[in-house]
Amino acid sequence: MDEKRKTTILVLDDETIVLKRLRPALEKAGYEVEVFSRSSEAMARIMDKDFDIVITDLKMQGLDGMQFLTMVKQGSPKTEVIVITGFATMETAKESFQKGVFDFLAKPFKLAEIQEIVKKAEAKILQGELL
Amino acid sequence: MPFSTLFGRFQKVLALNNQVLDLIANMGTKLGGNYVFDQHYIHTACDQLSDLVKQLIYNLDAMAPRKYLGLYDVFRDINHEIEEELAGKLVIPKTDYTMPYEFISRDFGDVVGAKNANLAEIKNLLGLAVPEGFAITTRSFQSFLEYNGLQEKIFETIATWQKGDLSSEGAGAKIGDLIMAGAVPPALAKAVENAVAALYLEAEDKEGCLALRSSATGEDTEMSFAGQYLSLLNEPRERVLDGYKAILAGTYSGLALEYRRQKGFAENEVAMAMGCQLMIDAKVSGVLYTLDPRSPEREVMVLTATWGLGAPVVAGEVKADQYAVERKPPHPVSAMDIVRKEKQLSPKTGGGTRFRAVEADLRAKSALTEDQIGGIAEAGLLIERHFKKPQDIEWALDPEGRLFVLQARPLNIKAQVAEMLCDISSILKSYPIIFENQGTVAQEGIGAGKVFLVKSEEELDAFPQGAILVCRYTSPRLAKVIRKANAVITDIGSATGHMATICREFHVPAIINTGVATRRLHSGQEVTVDARQNVVYAGVVKALCYFEFAEEAFEETYEYRLLRRVLKRIAPLNFLDPSDKDFVPSACRTFHDITRFVHEKAVQQLIHMEYANQRRSLTGGRKLKFNVPLALVLIDIGGGLAPSADDDTVEQKEVVSVPMRAFLEGLAVPGAWNTEPISIDFGGFMSSLTRTFSLKVASPKFVGQNLAVVSKEYANISLHLGYHFNMIDAYASENTNDNYAYFRFLGGVTDITRRSRRAMLLADILAGNDFRTDVRGDLVVARIKKLDIEGMKRTMRLLGLLVAYSRQLDIKMLSEQEMKRSIEEFNGFKNAHHDSRGL
Repeated sequence: MDEKRKTTILVLDDETIVLKRLRPALEKAGYEVEVFSRSSEAMARIMDKDFDIVITDLKMQGLDGMQFLTMVKQGSPKTEVIVITGFATMETAKESFQKGVFDFLAKPFKLAEIQEIVKKAEAKILQGELL
Repeated sequence: MPFSTLFGRFQKVLALNNQVLDLIANMGTKLGGNYVFDQHYIHTACDQLSDLVKQLIYNLDAMAPRKYLGLYDVFRDINHEIEEELAGKLVIPKTDYTMPYEFISRDFGDVVGAKNANLAEIKNLLGLAVPEGFAITTRSFQSFLEYNGLQEKIFETIATWQKGDLSSEGAGAKIGDLIMAGAVPPALAKAVENAVAALYLEAEDKEGCLALRSSATGEDTEMSFAGQYLSLLNEPRERVLDGYKAILAGTYSGLALEYRRQKGFAENEVAMAMGCQLMIDAKVSGVLYTLDPRSPEREVMVLTATWGLGAPVVAGEVKADQYAVERKPPHPVSAMDIVRKEKQLSPKTGGGTRFRAVEADLRAKSALTEDQIGGIAEAGLLIERHFKKPQDIEWALDPEGRLFVLQARPLNIKAQVAEMLCDISSILKSYPIIFENQGTVAQEGIGAGKVFLVKSEEELDAFPQGAILVCRYTSPRLAKVIRKANAVITDIGSATGHMATICREFHVPAIINTGVATRRLHSGQEVTVDARQNVVYAGVVKALCYFEFAEEAFEETYEYRLLRRVLKRIAPLNFLDPSDKDFVPSACRTFHDITRFVHEKAVQQLIHMEYANQRRSLTGGRKLKFNVPLALVLIDIGGGLAPSADDDTVEQKEVVSVPMRAFLEGLAVPGAWNTEPISIDFGGFMSSLTRTFSLKVASPKFVGQNLAVVSKEYANISLHLGYHFNMIDAYASENTNDNYAYFRFLGGVTDITRRSRRAMLLADILAGNDFRTDVRGDLVVARIKKLDIEGMKRTMRLLGLLVAYSRQLDIKMLSEQEMKRSIEEFNGFKNAHHDSRGL
């Protein structure tokens, strides 16, 4: 991997507070971050660009997050998806993992927790590229 | 009702009580800044809580049918307020008509308007001078409209304007006329009259006039509303009510209507409060921007000043001197533009203002001296740090040269900063990290400056404004310089200690318990403390400070404010003393109050039934005869007490309940029951932190009743010792898998810091004895499970000893050193009785 290229992250959540908190924290940690509160716009963006990591809410108005992550994985299987949701049940967690998500985090969560998961996802991507 | 049914309900109450308190504490921790939460969370948590509290009330009602029906009413009212908040509606609190600045903090924005709230916070927390005064609250606004039947008329006019059938000037004039023709309700008029009289009682100049300043909700936050509303200067005191009406009318001026429409501010979100202040006869006035909004990277403040009152400077009606002042202390002036000042605005005798010629020798003179500039700059940075944003501050110097802050609001520099910081992480990479992820962040934020390493108390007097305070221990003595510090780092300390509390109060970024700070940092070294990511950089990382300025502060987000607002109706515990005549359902103000009330009454209900029946065969309840002064009633629900000749009392040896017996043994350890009188020290700096603490509740007397419900293998013990609420629930049998002990400790006289420290002490001891322990503020919950019967007995003895020992501990808990000493002392007791009592 080109050392200068930053790991790219797309965050989708229809509650802008989540974006407001995550974007500065991830940017300071050295990631290139794009945030979306509308799934249609996020959808259009992933058609244009493959992100290394996608962080998405599961339940949003207008679109099922499950659909979104399915599309992300279809379009770019190497993208690691992290699901954040306020409706955490065993079923949704199971379904997410079946669809190949990297990790699943129930809201509310600590900033440190998501940063830790993002780091692990990044490590996995790096490893994949070395192989 | 059969006792078993009653007891079943009682257990249900206990379980719900625990769930409610857990949930409240959990919601509280979300305000700390470590969590990412959203509106969905706030809604879900409130729903859950409301459901639990409702169940609590049902269960108490089942225990004492129709006895506490008032609970349903207060529940409905509180729940309704929470629902209104969640629906985003403006809830005008049922407050007094007026409020003195002394009692206002920024939390009262919806009561006194943003301008008053900020100003009062600057006075009360930062200790800067602001004009003496009081606020006329938004509730007064509401009752004025109601009294004159104006609400509908106003909304009709606004609707006509919104449809385009009326110009904004036309609508403004029409509403203005309606308001000016209205009458101030007599009760409100009386309240204002009293507040004005109280204000003049303390005034230096009894003949002076008043400044009446609009203060709307939502103003001075993200939306500045600068210059949109009316302020009246130098009004004679007898004109205060007319002035009040004029300011209310100004709420609906054509200008204000238009501004709100453009900013998307809903008309039903508007409520107007007013600040009523003693007029400062300003010799010099002006405006300070703590950062130059045109070129923030220059690191200078922009200060304008002119002779006389400041209103024409803001309005651009007079010429003013302008200074570029460096942000770094001691704030030298890097550029100045002294203009010829021909006229100044001055108060007229008898009221009102007029322009007059500036005295000839002053016209060409700089309105400020270097010292005055330094003082204004210093005050500005203090305010900036507290509100975490560059500030736009109106100030005045009185004839004696004393500085008064008249208004402070955030300066929006987002757009400029965004350009400067295209890539924050690569900027950060160019600064060496001194250490990271050491210790705990006690208060989030960014602070840069020179390290000042404190080794002894004497050095504190030399602590410079804007330095980074680095020290080994946390100590209450440091409180006096925290206000001046840009950040605090310590080697040792806890997130619930004094220092953390004070740093949070003054919004000073703090990382504590780093272990390495005093070794790795030296005085004079420039550093930047990122108390968000927990990193200390070498050098001043300006970019990081600006990055912080440009971000919407967590405390300013809608979600933070919403959670804080709903928590105000949930978390505070307003009553402690069940013997108080006000301990009635209608006095409950929060869900916590209701929960506390239900718990207390459920315990009483069991005891009451006991005394009412006087039938031992039914309940088996008896008073304990004991060698420690503890008024405890035991109720036997099966094999917990040995039969005895006396129906009313029970000897310690007759308690055969396994967990209860062991608990009493621990309680009776000689010397553990600390009965020495302890004086409560409210002096010194502590009193500054106990503003909300009423001395009324400070007398340590017996509170509530102590009750234990026991069986052969079970004990549920509710204790009120001093002002602690202590609950222990335990099961101890031969079946190891069923065994558990649950310990909960809450409350206590003295301030939250000492209470928290006591909580930490209990938690330390419990954790050291294998309990799974959880501390949130002054609430301690500890659980232990699946011990064999001998282990359970040891555990219950330990809890007995701990309860006895910690009875009045918080009053002694003055310092962390004492806390350590107490742990050692406790362990001493424990070990001394280890052999003889099996502890």
